[in-house]
Amino acid sequence: MLKLFKKLKYGARVFLSKGGGQEETIDVHGRSTVLLHGGEGTPFIYLHSTLGESFRWLPFLQTWSKSFRVLAPMHPGFGKSGGFDQIDTIEDMAFHYVEMFDALGFEEVILGGVSLGGWIAAEFAVRWPERVKKLWIADAPGLWVENTPLGDLFRIMQDREKLRELLFHDPKGHMAGLVLEDNPDEEKMLMGYQSLTVLARLVWERPYDPKLANRLRRIACPTLLLWGANDRLVPPAYGEAYKKHIPGAELKLIGSCGHLPMFERETEFVEAVTKFCQD
Amino acid sequence: MRYYFFHLMPWPYLPADFDTVYDSAWIWLPNSLYDPVRGQELYQEYINTLAYADELGFDGICVNEHHQNAYGLMPSPNVIAGALTQRTKKAKIAVIGNALPLYNPPLRVAEEFAMLDVLSGGRLIAGMVIGGGPEYFTYQVNPTHAREKFREALDLILKAWTEPGPFLWNSKHYHFRYVNPWPRPLQKPHPPIWIPGVGSLETIEFVAQRRYAYMGIPYFHIDVFRRVFAQFREACEKAGYTARPEQMGWGVPIYVAETDRQAREEFEPQLWYFVKNLLKGIGISPPGYTSARSALAIIKNHKYFLYTQKTWDDIEKGVYAIVGSPETVRQKLEQYQKELGIGVVLTGCQTGALPHELARKSMELLAREVLPKTRGIKQQEAAAVR
Repeated sequence: MLKLFKKLKYGARVFLSKGGGQEETIDVHGRSTVLLHGGEGTPFIYLHSTLGESFRWLPFLQTWSKSFRVLAPMHPGFGKSGGFDQIDTIEDMAFHYVEMFDALGFEEVILGGVSLGGWIAAEFAVRWPERVKKLWIADAPGLWVENTPLGDLFRIMQDREKLRELLFHDPKGHMAGLVLEDNPDEEKMLMGYQSLTVLARLVWERPYDPKLANRLRRIACPTLLLWGANDRLVPPAYGEAYKKHIPGAELKLIGSCGHLPMFERETEFVEAVTKFCQD
Repeated sequence: MRYYFFHLMPWPYLPADFDTVYDSAWIWLPNSLYDPVRGQELYQEYINTLAYADELGFDGICVNEHHQNAYGLMPSPNVIAGALTQRTKKAKIAVIGNALPLYNPPLRVAEEFAMLDVLSGGRLIAGMVIGGGPEYFTYQVNPTHAREKFREALDLILKAWTEPGPFLWNSKHYHFRYVNPWPRPLQKPHPPIWIPGVGSLETIEFVAQRRYAYMGIPYFHIDVFRRVFAQFREACEKAGYTARPEQMGWGVPIYVAETDRQAREEFEPQLWYFVKNLLKGIGISPPGYTSARSALAIIKNHKYFLYTQKTWDDIEKGVYAIVGSPETVRQKLEQYQKELGIGVVLTGCQTGALPHELARKSMELLAREVLPKTRGIKQQEAAAVR
């Protein structure tokens, strides 16, 4: 009963946030890119995870939009964004974003993301450090830590229960049930398959970028690393590895939290990012 | 009508509690369950069986490629085919096939198939496949490139066989400064190309356009084959010609014994071993291996796949296998051959842990008492029924 109430409450917040984000489609050299945006101030770019959560203006985006000009683009190949045929590697994603920022006239941005989005943010920051004012990365793959393999998402992707166990600290909690429903409709299944297809293209042969570790030293801005203390897909050891390679980076663990802090520990997560980006 | 004898070379010694302990017979099934001592004996027996099919007068024998699994023990079907070139005299040797995107470089396939064609005196049928979903986990080849790589590799191999080398090749996934394989195949212009398929319209249309042969992979409901061959004929018409029966092959296990009852008693436990154990996990499909729409269609069509069948009645009604006395099998073969309009039947009886002597007995009854009567079904007659 309580779980149902919590689910309904989140649903109501999503509904109330809706008016805050506006959808726009921009063309980035032939890649039709859908993005949601809201708020004013410094451009604050949120790069989504493989869930493709930026297809809707979620409460955490709404909260940030009170302090920043938030833009939440869908990566090429996700949702209604095109351009998948131009994407082969994670580097192509970084180049997509530099061209998008050029198109939007952004000299410098606050850049961050969760999981895949965090990895793209890191790949961007090592190439164009002068264009990142603040960088935050949450629960991101991209590196390799010996003896700490990443969870095998592709093995269990068709099993909702195992997926919840891999991605959430509390797989029985209301957010786990909301984010990974038991019987998704056809549209959601298609979207999920499409998202995993993009991920597969980027990580299938090798789930990290062997060049990244030695390039992270080029990052020149303040960097916050946020990690779910109980992330089973990309364990906190990966946060430690990013910290080791990025000069001056701070690592903050979020307790009782799995791979998706924006859903499982929204308040702590949003506050930590906001505080870091405002300072 | 041509009959090809098909062998998967399954592992028959899985533990009795396999189904409750293991979630798959593929990819991560511990290879400690494989016993090389028993394995040697098994390979020998399976090769003997295939050589026997040649003696019995089957038109061809078939082997295929799978990796890291108990379902089929031929990670390299070309090795087995090489042995068969020395053990057989008349039968075509159909390798159906080599999974092209798994070969780097794919010129390896051009070379090995050419070797087999020369070694066998021009008896090779060159099967080209994308490879099953599990193989993309095993070989870690990017599934989102599978179809592109398949088409590029196929074009490269055909060019390597038909145009004088050396030449330069450049495509999205492959670049070679000198394409110049030795040896070249014996058959001209090249060995026949067979493409096995599970019913996607994309593959059907591709095979029809290229005028290759489409081999319907077994383990689907007869309605699936009805649709597939109707679509194939239509695709050929669209491409400007009428499909030839030998362009269409139907894969179906056949088991023959003295009576219907005996056939079922001998075969049924083996079929369930196959369904419950060996098919477990075969359907894992990495993202991007098909389009999102096709992936959804596959999920919806699960009920037409052998793995989801529960009773013998399901098997009989869906014609997942043809099992019975010589007369029963003859009648059914005649009925479906005419109805489907096909010119090739690919059949195997070794679906599970079938004792070797029963496998041989079934082959003999099929070859001696059934096929002489069903071979004569005229292809024109078959074509007219559609």
